[in-house]
Amino acid sequence: MIVAFAASAAVAAQRTPVNAPTSSSAAADNAPPFTTSRGEWPSYTGDTRGSRYSPLDQITARNFGTLEVAWRFKTDSLGPRPEFKLEGTPLMVAGVLYATGGTNRAVVALDAVTGVQLWVHREDEGDRGAAAPRPLSGRGLAYWTDGREERVLYVTPGYRLIALDAKTGTPIPTFGTGGVVDLKTDIDQTILPDLVTGEIGFQGAPVVGRDVIVIGASFREGITPKSYKNNKGYVRGFDVRTGKRLWTFHTIPKQGEPGYETWLNGSAEYTGNTGVWTQLTVDEELGLVYLPVESPTGDYYGGHRPGNNLYGESLVCLDLKTGAKKWHYQIVHHPIWDFDLASAPILADITVDGKAIKAIAAPTKQGILYVFDRVTGKPVWPFEEKPVERGDVPGEWYSPTQPVPTKPPAYAKNGTSIDDLVDFTPELRAQAVTIASRYKLGPVFTPPVVSKADGPLGTLARGATNGGSNWPGGSYDPETHTVYVASSNAAPAVLGLVQPSKDRSDMDWIGGTAPQPNGARAGGLSVQGLSIFKPPYGTISAINLDKGEISWQVPHGETPDAVRNHEMLKGITIPRTGQPGFLVGTLVTKTLVIAGDPQVTTLSTRPRGAMLRAYDKASGAEVGSVFLPAPVSGSPMTYAVHGRQYIVLAVSGGPYSGEYIAFRLPLDGSR
Amino acid sequence: MRMTERTRSRGWLIGGTFAAVIPVLAARLDSPWSVSRTQSRTVWDSVYTISQAAVGEAAYGKTCARCHGASLSGADESPALTGSGFLGNWNGLPLSDLQTRIRTTMPTDSVGIYDRRLVTDVIAYLLKANGFPAGNADLPNDVEQLKEILIQARTP
Repeated sequence: MIVAFAASAAVAAQRTPVNAPTSSSAAADNAPPFTTSRGEWPSYTGDTRGSRYSPLDQITARNFGTLEVAWRFKTDSLGPRPEFKLEGTPLMVAGVLYATGGTNRAVVALDAVTGVQLWVHREDEGDRGAAAPRPLSGRGLAYWTDGREERVLYVTPGYRLIALDAKTGTPIPTFGTGGVVDLKTDIDQTILPDLVTGEIGFQGAPVVGRDVIVIGASFREGITPKSYKNNKGYVRGFDVRTGKRLWTFHTIPKQGEPGYETWLNGSAEYTGNTGVWTQLTVDEELGLVYLPVESPTGDYYGGHRPGNNLYGESLVCLDLKTGAKKWHYQIVHHPIWDFDLASAPILADITVDGKAIKAIAAPTKQGILYVFDRVTGKPVWPFEEKPVERGDVPGEWYSPTQPVPTKPPAYAKNGTSIDDLVDFTPELRAQAVTIASRYKLGPVFTPPVVSKADGPLGTLARGATNGGSNWPGGSYDPETHTVYVASSNAAPAVLGLVQPSKDRSDMDWIGGTAPQPNGARAGGLSVQGLSIFKPPYGTISAINLDKGEISWQVPHGETPDAVRNHEMLKGITIPRTGQPGFLVGTLVTKTLVIAGDPQVTTLSTRPRGAMLRAYDKASGAEVGSVFLPAPVSGSPMTYAVHGRQYIVLAVSGGPYSGEYIAFRLPLDGSR
Repeated sequence: MRMTERTRSRGWLIGGTFAAVIPVLAARLDSPWSVSRTQSRTVWDSVYTISQAAVGEAAYGKTCARCHGASLSGADESPALTGSGFLGNWNGLPLSDLQTRIRTTMPTDSVGIYDRRLVTDVIAYLLKANGFPAGNADLPNDVEQLKEILIQARTP
């Protein structure tokens, strides 16, 4: 009671930033009044730089294990039914926590100390919301203030940008039309077939820098598209005060624009997707925005879009105010592996061989960290254009090479070979080899194949689609110039292609595996209930960006029940395997790297559940953990109010519906 | 025993707000905590048929595979439906919970287009893909009967 009362007073007192910058330099003028350095968390990744870093140091290795639940917020009632995939990372500004939740993506403001709901905003989008390509609660929102007004901004499932008064949750009448900008309009194309069902949306959190909101675009999953034609995922900038569109960047160039020539046979005209569905990153000081662009239409087949397909799977740098392109680098030529740039690129001011470099590092599904000078777009360590296998899918167009950095080394397994298969026992290895014999194995960039019932059923890949790092992204420690990033090694993807029936798709090939002669599909890829791959199934890596080297790498996550309790593994000592979850986000603080388990396990020492773990950021040693009732499903964040540090994260999955859980230290105890 | 353990864990986590959360749990009839104490069978007891799994597989291929992948391996935002992640989430819970979860939340863009029968057929396919044995009788679509069949990750 006392704590709650004090917090309410604090909220009122803190609405005006108490430590507003006094410097008159341009950078300070553009600096947000709330920052992680003051214990706030005003942007999806803490800052707009993709850092997920806070200098808070109250929660340490010594006391992490004593963390208690401060409050929990169940999101069930925010929508018409419970949601089981809560991906949000909340914001915290001036004692108020802002988050999205619920199946219709409501916005809530909570007292950051007690979790008590202060206001809720919900849009009923009817058929348009129901037709959203990316429904549910999304990843979060953006906060903006000019020192007087405070706004929170988010994008609805039906692709409308909403500006709310942060104090009351009411729409800002002077923004767009009654607080709403219809993102399906004013987009340099006509969204087909109509505004209600036209496929385009965005489930990420908007980013705001220098009074510009930048919004990406996302679509349905692209392994089995209905058509080789689709709407295009242009990226746009909007005035945060008025909602006016400032610029549109054509992620698929229009005729006459540079890059159009990389779409042969006029395929830029009809190809779609190629949006930015993950988090965008902004350098407010330089006035630049960085776009991690996804795949063009057809994740595994690009025969309808011959050519390199700029800016598919490229990192693109734009002027924040004008949208003019500064530079781009295509990380995968002619994408056919679903190697969307899925993580927020991370800004890093580093020193390489004595030279200061303003760098940007992009974690990827292929487990390669691509590092560039973010001013020039030149790789910090050279990339080699390596020859890659040319496939033989009829109609496909292949790039003969792909760029591969000389440093840092890959931080996740991204290819497959017999040596990678499970070998706990010779019998398991033999079974794994038998299963694998029906697939094509090979290193990263081994192309998809036409699926045949008698083999190969497909290319057995790691990284493609569901490996390495995905939208939860990594973290960056500005003190040690180190990127921390989780990755999955053991989620197999089958890159097989089949010819769809005409009523299903007009694509020549879509992802799938050939039916067996008896009508059934091939069996699964697990071996006696175990992953077909060797551990570690999932890791966290620390990558020093001054050196371009991996400082440490540890398995992340409890060894799955299937391994710990396996009949065939009795008497065999197996070190912690980690877990094959590609949805683990990291948080880095003054001393710790913090991440939750992506899977539920059952141990005799605790109830069935998952754990939130802390690692010594210098060594990677696990230094503490606390119980979670369900797998982590959104990246953790941290803040301090009234001298107490909190960690908040989203959990959900399987039978457990979405919940935000806040941890803090006991009032007296091990602090 | 199971209920006691769960209650204890939630009590520990909820701390001071325990009383406020109880009504929420009580209101959710399909709560994940509503584990029946009378299950007599598990998914290892040959609880579906090959032909039923084939029907489910066709439905899966038509609607579910676009997000969860043809090999059930998941993608981007969609979890894998085989392996330790899937089985970890559902281990120890009755098939009725899985049926309710799928029927009331999937597919995300057209919830409810699959009736109980078809959802149950898809579950039969998931059981097959996860290596559980087929038998001579179809998996029933009746919730009460599914409450009596436990998902168990490892051989009993």
